[in-house]
Amino acid sequence: MRAATDLIDRRSFLKMAGVAWVASLAPDRAFALTRADAVFASAFMAPDGSYGVATLTEAGEIIDRAALPARAHGMAYSPVTRRAVAFARRPGTYAMILATDGTAEPIVIAAVEGRHFYGHGCFSADGRLLYATENDFASNRGMVGVYDGSDRFTRIGEFPTYGIGPHDMTLAADGRLLAIANGGIETHPDFGRTKLNLDHMEPSLTLVDTATGALVQKHGLPDDLSRLSTRHVDIGPKGEIWFACQYEGARNDLPPLVGSFSRGEDLKFLSLPERTTEALANYVGAIAINRHEGLVGLTSPKGNVAVTIDARTGAVLRQERVADAAGVAAAGHGFAVSSYDGHFQDYQSRVAWDQHIVRLA
Amino acid sequence: MPHIRKLALALALSTVALPAAAQEGSALSPRVVNEAAVPAVMAKAVDAFIIPGYRNLTEKAAAASAATAKLCAAPSQPALETAQGAFSDLVGAWSTIEIVRLGPALEQNRFERFLFYPDRKSTGLKQVQAIISKKDESATDEARLKGKSVAAQGLGALEYVLYGTGSDTLLSKEGDFRCRYGLAITRNLDTIANEFLAAWQKPDGVQAAWKHPGPDNPEFRDSREAATELLGILVHGVETVKDQRLKPFYEGKDDKGRPKLAIYWRSGNTMASIAGNVRGLKALFDVADMQSLLPEDSRSVAGSADFVFKSVIGMAGNIDGPIDAALADEDKRAKLAFLSLNTNDLLDRLNKDFGGAIGLGAGFSFADGD
Repeated sequence: MRAATDLIDRRSFLKMAGVAWVASLAPDRAFALTRADAVFASAFMAPDGSYGVATLTEAGEIIDRAALPARAHGMAYSPVTRRAVAFARRPGTYAMILATDGTAEPIVIAAVEGRHFYGHGCFSADGRLLYATENDFASNRGMVGVYDGSDRFTRIGEFPTYGIGPHDMTLAADGRLLAIANGGIETHPDFGRTKLNLDHMEPSLTLVDTATGALVQKHGLPDDLSRLSTRHVDIGPKGEIWFACQYEGARNDLPPLVGSFSRGEDLKFLSLPERTTEALANYVGAIAINRHEGLVGLTSPKGNVAVTIDARTGAVLRQERVADAAGVAAAGHGFAVSSYDGHFQDYQSRVAWDQHIVRLA
Repeated sequence: MPHIRKLALALALSTVALPAAAQEGSALSPRVVNEAAVPAVMAKAVDAFIIPGYRNLTEKAAAASAATAKLCAAPSQPALETAQGAFSDLVGAWSTIEIVRLGPALEQNRFERFLFYPDRKSTGLKQVQAIISKKDESATDEARLKGKSVAAQGLGALEYVLYGTGSDTLLSKEGDFRCRYGLAITRNLDTIANEFLAAWQKPDGVQAAWKHPGPDNPEFRDSREAATELLGILVHGVETVKDQRLKPFYEGKDDKGRPKLAIYWRSGNTMASIAGNVRGLKALFDVADMQSLLPEDSRSVAGSADFVFKSVIGMAGNIDGPIDAALADEDKRAKLAFLSLNTNDLLDRLNKDFGGAIGLGAGFSFADGD
């Protein structure tokens, strides 16, 4: 007997993905980013409800696009290998790796049995390994799946995230550590995206040794912030780890939503002005750091706002209304911001941009 | 022109990027939420659907408890049938209101304690079987049952007691323990149902939050957030029917099916429950007057949603009898295939057509927690 919600294997994945999508992987249509002006990539939904990933210029004009079999979420990029990856949105079961220089066909990996992806991950510093946040849903524990890029991204191992409901993850300390945001929310593919433990969440931020998989540091949140889901991370100008949160408690609370920490230090929450906290609607959808300029960028689709903060002083430098604000990424100056209604910098395309942007150059 | 091929591909996908200035009337999110209409819709949702739905649940839970108590006091075939009938009525009441999977349903594991499904690894089944075989007296005490696994205290456990292997012992005093365990489950369900009702009836509780969106509101800061929650019930409700209730036992054309993964397969309530879910969604849509959120020129969207609602309910209600028999019947399998296609259609009508028309557009499903 087969459990109906078994995670799919590669063959059934291709069946599910459909003929049109598989055809889009043929070499003559391989996603080839040959234009030097490609700066960003982001996942999207097209007007007909299909999904894909696109590359864009600094100004936000679409250069190229590739179809995806299902909705994607986060992306990552390795400047060493020039490969990008798009992860299926949780509880998704695929990730697609693209050679942004057009030297190889896309590679699709499927989650192994008993795991699904959470929608985020990153490459190792040398670009060889791919790390993905995954759910060991039978045991309700977060895992990091490790995939070998020198062998078509075969899964070669895994280690714990030391928390539940991991979401975003990034490389820290020159690649020696992974900084992981364990959102603390229990989900199970049998129940779709339903949050199963809102009255006993366990959010945490962990640092894990990439060489050994050992826990280096773990920060839980105080009891009064147990409903503050730590979800997205990026690295600051001095190597500090910035994190952004989504609050599952009362809508009229004003919890801290952003903070940072360094190895060996406690979490430091940013004390934002009330009007900024209110504007963010207790929900930061994406965070990005512009390290050259020392800026922190935040977007909130619930609050329809994009906020720029001085990483050093914590002062709010800019607060701009962006309807259905989606992704944020460091730009030449400040940030590139996208929206569900197709806006991306100076352009509006007929797509709904998904929640995250990755910078390629 | 080095980019001709790419351009051709882009055109084939009919999604060409244009500068904002050159583009008019984007297909996505052109509408705004009719904020003035939202509070009345929220109030009707609470007063005419949610509270009556939970009240009905308390009544059916009390009736199931009374019928089970009679069965335990004087076991007989008619008494067992009455208790089983009361169980099916309770399943019917729950199926209508379980679509409201938020607020009080998310607190204290109430939802899972009422219904633990799917029981992926038969964990719940094993616990229930162990309680019965060991005659674990603590499970016959409602207060102590509450502290046991969620899988041992809800509708799934009660169904096994009334219909599972050994349920024929309920016809005599031989089944005394089993019956008293079942009685404790019905009492537990009655208590949870009353907790739901009390939480929603409390004047300054969740219902006040639903009826008066605003800056000081613990649930919704504005009408748009409230409308999003309400549409979420419909969209997630259809997704649940499609992915968590139909798909586990039938994945569409050419699938022979897996009847024992179907919800309520022991009692033959599978399709009645699925029809009940969709009936609940339609009732919410109707009694809350959700079509009043539509702009005048888009009222037809409600009509087409109504059409598909009726089609799904009619078809689900048409597939009667035990689900294993239905799966073995070619005609009924064809109806199931049609049903699964129609639930996809219903999802699009609500998520894209209705959501877009009332001004929630792509943002609705996109903003959903990630």
